[in-house]
Amino acid sequence: MSSENNLVNNTIVKQWLMWGFVWAILAPAFGIILSLKFNYPDFLSNEYLHFGRLRPLHTNGVIFGVFSTLFLGLVYYMVPKLTGIRMYKEEWSPYALWLWNGALIAGFAGILLGYNKGLEVDELPAVISMGLVASLLIITYQVFMTIARRKEEKIYVSLWYTIAALVWTDLNLVFGNLVIPHIMPGVSNAALHGLYLHYVVGLWITPGGLAIIYFFLPAAARSPLYSHKLSLIGFWSLAFFYPFVGIHHYLFSPIPAWTQTVAIFASMMLIIPVWTVVTNFYGTLKGGAWSAFQTDFTVKLLIFGAAMYFIGSTQGSVEALRSLQVPTHFTDFVIAHSHATVFGGYVIFVLAACYYVWPRVAGGAFNRTTAQWSTWMIMLGISSMIAILVLQGLIQGTELMAGAEFVDSIVTMKPYWFIRTVTGVTMDIGVALVGINLYASSRKPAGRPHE
Amino acid sequence: MNKAKTIALIAGFFFFFLALLVQGVLPYLMKPMRGENYLSVTRSVRTGLGELVDVKAETVPVTDQLITRGRKIYIREGCWYCHSQYTRPVAGEERRWGPASEVGEYSYDLPHLFGTRRIGPDLIRVGGKYGDDWHAAHFFDPRGVVPDSIMPKFPWLFIKEGERFVPNEDGKAVVAYVQNLGMSKGKWRDLFPYQSVQAGSASFGTAASVEHGKAVYLRRCFGCHGEKGDGKGASPASVLFGIAQPRDFTAGVFKFRMTPTGSLPLDSDLYRTITAGIRGTAMPPWFNLSEQDRWDVIHYIKTFSPDFKNFPPEPPITIPRPPKSTPELIAQGKKVFDDMKCWECHGSAGKGDGPKSDTLKDDFGDRIPPANFTKGMFKSGSRPEDIFRTFMTGLSGTPMPSFSDSFTSPDDGWALTYFVLSLSADGRP
Repeated sequence: MSSENNLVNNTIVKQWLMWGFVWAILAPAFGIILSLKFNYPDFLSNEYLHFGRLRPLHTNGVIFGVFSTLFLGLVYYMVPKLTGIRMYKEEWSPYALWLWNGALIAGFAGILLGYNKGLEVDELPAVISMGLVASLLIITYQVFMTIARRKEEKIYVSLWYTIAALVWTDLNLVFGNLVIPHIMPGVSNAALHGLYLHYVVGLWITPGGLAIIYFFLPAAARSPLYSHKLSLIGFWSLAFFYPFVGIHHYLFSPIPAWTQTVAIFASMMLIIPVWTVVTNFYGTLKGGAWSAFQTDFTVKLLIFGAAMYFIGSTQGSVEALRSLQVPTHFTDFVIAHSHATVFGGYVIFVLAACYYVWPRVAGGAFNRTTAQWSTWMIMLGISSMIAILVLQGLIQGTELMAGAEFVDSIVTMKPYWFIRTVTGVTMDIGVALVGINLYASSRKPAGRPHE
Repeated sequence: MNKAKTIALIAGFFFFFLALLVQGVLPYLMKPMRGENYLSVTRSVRTGLGELVDVKAETVPVTDQLITRGRKIYIREGCWYCHSQYTRPVAGEERRWGPASEVGEYSYDLPHLFGTRRIGPDLIRVGGKYGDDWHAAHFFDPRGVVPDSIMPKFPWLFIKEGERFVPNEDGKAVVAYVQNLGMSKGKWRDLFPYQSVQAGSASFGTAASVEHGKAVYLRRCFGCHGEKGDGKGASPASVLFGIAQPRDFTAGVFKFRMTPTGSLPLDSDLYRTITAGIRGTAMPPWFNLSEQDRWDVIHYIKTFSPDFKNFPPEPPITIPRPPKSTPELIAQGKKVFDDMKCWECHGSAGKGDGPKSDTLKDDFGDRIPPANFTKGMFKSGSRPEDIFRTFMTGLSGTPMPSFSDSFTSPDDGWALTYFVLSLSADGRP
């Protein structure tokens, strides 16, 4: 283990994860403030912190802050391990780190001051997004050159996903920032933006998150991957179908109906990659490895996350169907889906991996009682949040279909929104505790090593 | 390395651009290839004969500086996170908001503002639904107008002028932008069936219906008309209503009636006003409320003035079926307009700028500008029957008299009606 450890630049991994922990406290906290505004509209409502200015900080904060920062940190751990050599041009890594996080801070400040491009998940000013792209290009180059010089003959499936995610997102961020805001107005602009929007979740968060669980589940459970063939099917079906789904955000809109149908078809076909990769994860624990689910926090969270990924993604496929969109589109049903997948699946994957990586790069043993509390809070919080949001969506959707006055459907939602806030607070405390617990563990003199 | 290259090239580049081509670029190219037009929209226009027709029209870019500025503020403030801008032909949205969206309505939208979530209502059909005063009051304090609203307040879009707040340049711009939404579809609202009613003449008020009506009143009407029904709600007290003040129900004076001058209105008159709203003023249309809510709130409103108990409404006038409009009828209408001196208040071109227009006041002492017919917005409705009714019964409490005794031939009323309607013509028959 110790010789292998020489492959990883512990400092840079630690720094990325630390930034990730900071975002993991901030971005969900924005979510709680937003959630409170549903019941207390005047809470913290002023020119710079009202709902319309704060919402992009929550969404972008979770996607580009929490998930991406932790994922990129884990890439710096995973790639050397899988290639058998140190990261190419390690001295560039700090530039990528500071560019990424500096751009996020500047971008968020900009949004609060009113610089918003008007495209969902594409709000950051283009100049600032180019900082993110520059950072990502450095990392892409490092990863590619490291893989090119690798010692291991085989390329493990985590690397496929990482390669694809980096290429897709380099392209997508340029596309979203420099192309969409300037060409093809009207319904075509909506179509392009629908593609961008789902490229962010489908071609960045999904492959990134899957790369993480494919690597850390077998590693933490000390059990070989169930099937490499399944991982092949999962990867290529995802790569082929996922790019086509974006327009399912705009069903029944004036965007040509056949493109909507293509998007619905592709959304349903995504059941193939989802179900194959989930089978692969549960299969990996076949035999004796299930015991790790009880003892190891990485395995526990990964397997829970895989269940959430399964539920959320299957819901996503089904909600692309026209019949289900009639009542549920525009309601909290969709918000349930985004929380189940982005938080329940991918953010939990990267948090789980932190339990594995942090003790190895920073030393020290984390407090298992705190970890136990945090894990349960995360699991209970997100599960109940998804349940309540799904319920809300169905209630409001059917109420509106029955002809209720719009604001009456808002009145119906208010008690549910309050419960949603409670579930959100629960899971956000759990998330914050992961980072705090791990950070505190490495500040103490090294005790008994983890596991 | 070969395998890594394959992944990067096929999965990373090829699949990315394949989807972009099929889902993004191809639909953009296909319409023109089939000879169709991205600018095409169904527009309701008024003809020179004063009638409404639907035509296929092309949209043009918005050049009004105030509106384009308003759009920027709408984006800056993130209004689009909670308000979508397209309605679907499903889930009753055509009844709730209006006709489903068309491709031509969005021709020049960059970035698009379709939206993916409705925490508030859709806005593509909001243009012309409310008056500017309503929007100003609503931006200043949404809960003042809609007590159950969860929209943020936007006080930084206002400045104080004397006692009350008025929108600043940014505020005016957002109002102008919102009022222009969906306007490429023209006067569709005048043909919107759910907003116009022909109801029976009365309903029975019981103690229970008054009680329920009060609950409705406190959730929908209270912000402008006030707790006592005197038109002194919180909204007109904080924001300047520049167009018309909320009705003081205690006075027992109502403009829009089927009953003769001086009489109280029928329940069905109030029902019509509540359902259709009063175009251009802060009074919104309430066609989305259940019929029960609308009738019951009427019974509650009638408790504000003892007149309803003491002076039952007089029998209503009858309005015959309107004749078909002809050029001769319009010419006759023009003559009636001149002979009856409508121009003294409404101006010779119907712009509301007649010689007396600056001095007019209503019975409450508020200045009341005469209607500008060229705008095509008619307070009590734009059907020929609505205009005709106004001539026959007058608008109580205002300088607009009844002309029922002045018309020399039965056709005079209809001739004047179609002439007034033709002043807002914006399309050829």
